[in-house]
Amino acid sequence: MPSYVSSATYPGETAEAAIAVSTLTETARDILEGAFIPIWVRGEITDFKAHRNGHWYFCLRDTASQIRCVVWNRDQRRIPAPPDDGMLVAAFGRLTVYPARGEMQFTIVRIEAEGDGLRRKALEVTRSRLAADGLLAPERKRALPRFPRVIAVVTSPDGAALHDIVAVIRRRRANVRLVVVPAAVQGDGAPDELCYALDQVNRWRGADLVIVSRGGGSREDMWAFNNERVARALAACYAPTISAVGHEVDLSICDLVADHRAPTPSAAAETATHSQVELEIELRRAAHRLNASIAAKFAAERDHLRHAARDLVAAGVRQTSVRRASIERISGRLHALSPLATMARGYSVARGNDGRALTSIDQFTPEMPFDLVLRDGTVPAKAWPRSDPAV
Amino acid sequence: MAAKRPRGLTFEERVARLEEIASELDTETVDLAKALSLFEEGIEHLRSAAAELATAEATVQKLVERADGTFGVTDAE
Repeated sequence: MPSYVSSATYPGETAEAAIAVSTLTETARDILEGAFIPIWVRGEITDFKAHRNGHWYFCLRDTASQIRCVVWNRDQRRIPAPPDDGMLVAAFGRLTVYPARGEMQFTIVRIEAEGDGLRRKALEVTRSRLAADGLLAPERKRALPRFPRVIAVVTSPDGAALHDIVAVIRRRRANVRLVVVPAAVQGDGAPDELCYALDQVNRWRGADLVIVSRGGGSREDMWAFNNERVARALAACYAPTISAVGHEVDLSICDLVADHRAPTPSAAAETATHSQVELEIELRRAAHRLNASIAAKFAAERDHLRHAARDLVAAGVRQTSVRRASIERISGRLHALSPLATMARGYSVARGNDGRALTSIDQFTPEMPFDLVLRDGTVPAKAWPRSDPAV
Repeated sequence: MAAKRPRGLTFEERVARLEEIASELDTETVDLAKALSLFEEGIEHLRSAAAELATAEATVQKLVERADGTFGVTDAE
């Protein structure tokens, strides 16, 4: 064979110098990869298959052409959701050759769907899965503690969100301890770091309120807060949670899962804490209530006492009138029996000097003075010589 | 409920206890001696909470997980 080699000036020039298929495809791959830097390509998705090995396979096509595409499992984390057939997308990747089939292949690492279709799809999928598990139910929402003592803040230690939250609680002189639990809030590692930070909070159990937060940014920057694992970690939090991601207009999946959604990090701090002035008002209110209650108690006791006194007097009066009535009854009877009553009807009584009633003629002697007692007084009288009763 | 010792409670617990005391005072079954002792307890809570407020200051710390899985906090600044 050395003679074949020596007769050809380059590999494949002659039948004798024919190169292997794999040499051809590998050479083609090297040339293609060298010729094209990674680029964005526009087309429609067809024949999408999520293979059980975890990779996605599909074609990108336009009216005239198509190219086979792959998204390796490891590259899928940057893509919000698997694309659907018929979606118009721009895909970013590198053109290569798949040597085993001898086909050109576009190896994709990012996909942007027209009308933000992939993100919308991802949000809908995540949302419906969380809803199916009841994690978005309004009755799951817990009340925030009125006066939290320790607040865990899951956020970037260098971010604008933490800066804003700290500024608010300092300004309000809130009686609270913030404990920052650091996590990246954007980039590929953010979902993992957020989940880990929330897991730390759950194992630590030192906070009575948890805030997850980041400042404003692009939709892509904030995408970690739409991650299903992050949302589930937030839902699993033992303490009530506030989600404050981006600005007022940004609504994330975390916002839906948290017990309370704050439009901004500053608003989260305002919601979570009371200013010193508010606390003083709260205390004054409590003091007022306490004083009012004890005053009411005393008033009630005084009323009891007053009622008791009145009852006592009433009982005394009742007893007196009962006795008075019986005295009147007895005196009536006495009156009926009294000789005075008889005299009132016109009778009189003769009484001797000794005051005894003279009831018989034998008690009289001539010239004997006596008193004649009448209804309205006494008349001195003298007995005349008695005429003979027989006469 | 049994009377708690006034010391060692959080601001929220004190305010909650104060509300509890006021409600208890509002019931007719509490006798005067008990009412007075509840009132004294309430005053003590008010004093402690006010003292706590007077020294209130927001602090910022950072959660640190040690190698053995236990946690500590360090000053953030």
